[in-house]
Amino acid sequence: MRGIKKTFMAVTVVGLALTGCSGDSGGEDSQTLLIAYKKADPVLESLMENTKEQFEAANEGITVELSPIEGNDDDYATKLALSQRSPDTAPDVFVEDSFKLRADVDAGYVLALDEYLADWEDWDAFNETAKEAGTGDDGGIYAVPLEADTRVIWYNQNVLGAAGIELPWQPQNWEDLLEMARTVKAANPDVVPFSMYAGTMQSFYELLYGTEDGALYDEDEQKWVVGSQGFIDSLDFLKTIYDEGLAVTPAQALDPNIWQEIVGDMLPQDRMGATVEGSYAPQFWQEGADYEWPEYGEVMATSPFPTQNGQEPGAVSMSGGWTLAVGAGSENPELAVDFVKMAMNFDNSLAYTVDASKIAVRNDVAETTEYQEMNPFAKEVTEVLEVSRYRPATADFAEIDTAVLTATQEVVAGGKSPEEAAADYDEALKQIVGEDNVIEK
Amino acid sequence: MAAVATAAPARGAGKTRSARTANIVLVLLAACFLLPLTWLLAASVNADASYELAIPTTLTLENFAAIMTAQQTFIPLLNSFILAVGSALVTVTAAVLAAYPLSRYQMRFKRPFMYTILFGTCLPITAIMVPVYSLFVQLNLLDSLAGTIFFMGATFLPIAIWMTKNFMDSVPVSLEEAAWIDGASSMKALFYVVLPLMRPGLAVVFIFVFLEAWGNFFVPFILLFSPDSQPAAVSIFRFFDEYGGVAYGELAAFSILYSLPVIVLYIVSRALGGSFALSGAMKG
Amino acid sequence: MSPARAAGATAARDRDQPVREAPRPRTPPASVRLRQAVRLLPLLPAVVLLLVFLGGPILWAFYGSFTDAGLTGASARNPEWIGLDNYRTLLTDPQFPHSLWLTFLFVLGSAVIGQNCLGLALALVMQRANRVVAAVAGTCVVAAWVLPEIVAAFIAYAFFFRDGMLNQLTGLAGLPVVDWLYEYPMLALVFANIWRGTAFSMMNYQAALNDVPPEITESATIDGAGGMQRLRFITLPMIKSSIATNLMLITLLTLGTFTLIYVVTGGGPLNASTTLPIMAYEQAFQYGDIGYGTAIAVVMLLIGAVFSIAYIRMLRERKD
Repeated sequence: MRGIKKTFMAVTVVGLALTGCSGDSGGEDSQTLLIAYKKADPVLESLMENTKEQFEAANEGITVELSPIEGNDDDYATKLALSQRSPDTAPDVFVEDSFKLRADVDAGYVLALDEYLADWEDWDAFNETAKEAGTGDDGGIYAVPLEADTRVIWYNQNVLGAAGIELPWQPQNWEDLLEMARTVKAANPDVVPFSMYAGTMQSFYELLYGTEDGALYDEDEQKWVVGSQGFIDSLDFLKTIYDEGLAVTPAQALDPNIWQEIVGDMLPQDRMGATVEGSYAPQFWQEGADYEWPEYGEVMATSPFPTQNGQEPGAVSMSGGWTLAVGAGSENPELAVDFVKMAMNFDNSLAYTVDASKIAVRNDVAETTEYQEMNPFAKEVTEVLEVSRYRPATADFAEIDTAVLTATQEVVAGGKSPEEAAADYDEALKQIVGEDNVIEK
Repeated sequence: MAAVATAAPARGAGKTRSARTANIVLVLLAACFLLPLTWLLAASVNADASYELAIPTTLTLENFAAIMTAQQTFIPLLNSFILAVGSALVTVTAAVLAAYPLSRYQMRFKRPFMYTILFGTCLPITAIMVPVYSLFVQLNLLDSLAGTIFFMGATFLPIAIWMTKNFMDSVPVSLEEAAWIDGASSMKALFYVVLPLMRPGLAVVFIFVFLEAWGNFFVPFILLFSPDSQPAAVSIFRFFDEYGGVAYGELAAFSILYSLPVIVLYIVSRALGGSFALSGAMKG
Repeated sequence: MSPARAAGATAARDRDQPVREAPRPRTPPASVRLRQAVRLLPLLPAVVLLLVFLGGPILWAFYGSFTDAGLTGASARNPEWIGLDNYRTLLTDPQFPHSLWLTFLFVLGSAVIGQNCLGLALALVMQRANRVVAAVAGTCVVAAWVLPEIVAAFIAYAFFFRDGMLNQLTGLAGLPVVDWLYEYPMLALVFANIWRGTAFSMMNYQAALNDVPPEITESATIDGAGGMQRLRFITLPMIKSSIATNLMLITLLTLGTFTLIYVVTGGGPLNASTTLPIMAYEQAFQYGDIGYGTAIAVVMLLIGAVFSIAYIRMLRERKD
């Protein structure tokens, strides 16, 4: 139907050249729910397919139309935003990256869920930190978290053990990290002792949020931070590990696919001591995965990432993850929210979380043996959620994130000093958010 | 040739020598151009292909077998086909109609019009994709194959009008005059007298638009959303999974299937004597 | 002169006649006007398509570049008129001159020098070569051109990739591994685009050289002119206009190249290959700053316009 109508529209538009003739919102059938999600993730895809089946069985006469979008995370975010602009293509339910949520709330794309969730008993079962991912600037709930992740240090016990490091290794501050790396390098110059990506989530933010004044954004003042010593210190740490050859080469650090070599070759072949990676790392090594590694449970171990000087709370982690949101323009918000609730009920959430090796967002899921035994590390990476932070997901964040990325890459591979790179970042930040929206720390 | 050879035997020998050098140079250059393609061919029959060029240890057709599904291959190719044929039809139809008055009647605004058209030929389409997207939002045309077809058709229209007019100029006007005398309208004359005579030219325009539309990535990437209307250029990203894993073998196999029609089309059009020497067709 | 041209010339004289007559009435009789309108009717579909899908977006581009329209965030809901702010930002954005320079390098290296010269050389060599060899070689060169752009881009990526074919080949020759996409991303892109686009120039020059009467070069040969001299003093001047047309077309095609760069380097590393189209895409769609992205697009349109006008003037001079 829609196809015919659009063809007709196209012909009419061309024939009459009536550029203003756009009709109403396209008459989306209210008995159809359009669901948008990222195609590339098979676990997510099966969650959506299963929920569709259950939902259609439970609600006679309702059709759930799945609309998987091709491409990587950036492409997905772009295409989702593009589709949201037109009521005709805007999905009823969509999988939303937690760090894009607030921007989309500002844009008026996302339905406020508070009243819809008020009578949903399951909502109490959701983890409080995880709920933050779905909270808007105004404190209202705009999305239900689908999953969470945390970031920890993953280290190879063979490599550290061979260098005489005491196991289990428990670094208390940044100095401990460097000390381990130098010891390993001295013992075996052929291995990469401690690598961090020249990136943001697995790398720079882990450092920044562990410094004294470390933050990108001052939530109280609602202003962005410039001139922060923590920013420079974090860059300095990265510079140190790259300059001393403790990490991979700068060229490798800039390769967006380097992680494949790290999880696929370096760690399994005892060629790397430690790296910072997401809690989902077992997903790479499990049976049937791309980089299957049967012994990973015995060889690898984790440690929370320490704060700069070991100050409270002692460890830090960055969290991200996908959420489920409902389109503000949905013609049947009740049904759309019901779909979200069904997708995130106990059974579906458990199956999804375990299959994807993600951190449980429901406490009742986290307590199941199935979850705790999904991989040898489930418990420890879940505990880190306590100290984990989400990124300040404002409308400008994607661009700010790129400015941070540029700063780290300039220091790691571009030959800039941490001070220069930090000053460049401050300038870029002022350009992006405006002079009035920054605060000197 | 023979005359030249007998007249100046010494130069004849030189000519053979230069022909031999030319052959060698050409073979070397052609090899350079083919070289990158070998990866595609090798990877498509390799069970565990990567971005490295490797001689497959075991030849397999499994990559091809694996992608022989409607979802993965046939629907996207069909969509590419619809887009390409649709755009080519829109372009050729509009161009022929427009070329007729431009070629046959003298009009005051013809010169500025043709220069404006020429100007349009040179537009970097990438530059207007942002506003085109906004326009499609306004017109409710997002995710519509028809809308995308009309847009793509329009982008090739300037060059097509220019080429078609030149082809039409070379069809003698006297033939139509005969038809007019017989009482045919100008449109009838166009259809029954002029068009048959410029068939090769129209084929060139049609195939050119088809090739461009078939391979275009950016336009459908921005304007189409639902998985069922994605052409092959966009659906090809299905071979990249969430964790950066790439099904190289299947990617290569799909690329070959996706490229084959245009290569065949090109060879056929060459055999029919078509030429894509646009600068010739564009000459003022 | 072709009959059509001759007919055109007569028509042109007809048009001039009324000027010599007494001034016509301001409005011609209704029947004449109607007939003229009917004659112009076939132009309508093309004009409408061009106005809606090319004219409209161009006007919108100018308008949009004066707003802070966003893809998301508050400005997606209520875009505001911000005057020249986007252009002011553009002038202070260090990325802009950088991207402009990279775009220039890309166009100069891959189109003006690479495709153009290689295409001409191929066409010249083909004239001397065995016809079968020339035809086969031509098809090989064209193969890269008819490939869908996304496929060509993947192939280029595989070729320049760190563990890819180029390094495998240079490795055979004992040369060290060079990470092309990291160390020389622009060079890799220039070569990729030469590989992909040379066929276009080659075909243009083949057609142009076919139009050069063989007697002319032959008589020059008899006069003792060497190969290089013949090329310089006879062949090149004869195809001058084809060279100009070709240069203009490939310059503008290359100016807008997006897919190849997007897939092979994504504009990286460290924005080392962010040409204007990539910058506009990033700003508009990835950072959601549609107004700013549109301003960059307008700059591209203006650059395109300058080239087109230069070209049109040149065409006109040649005709007159």
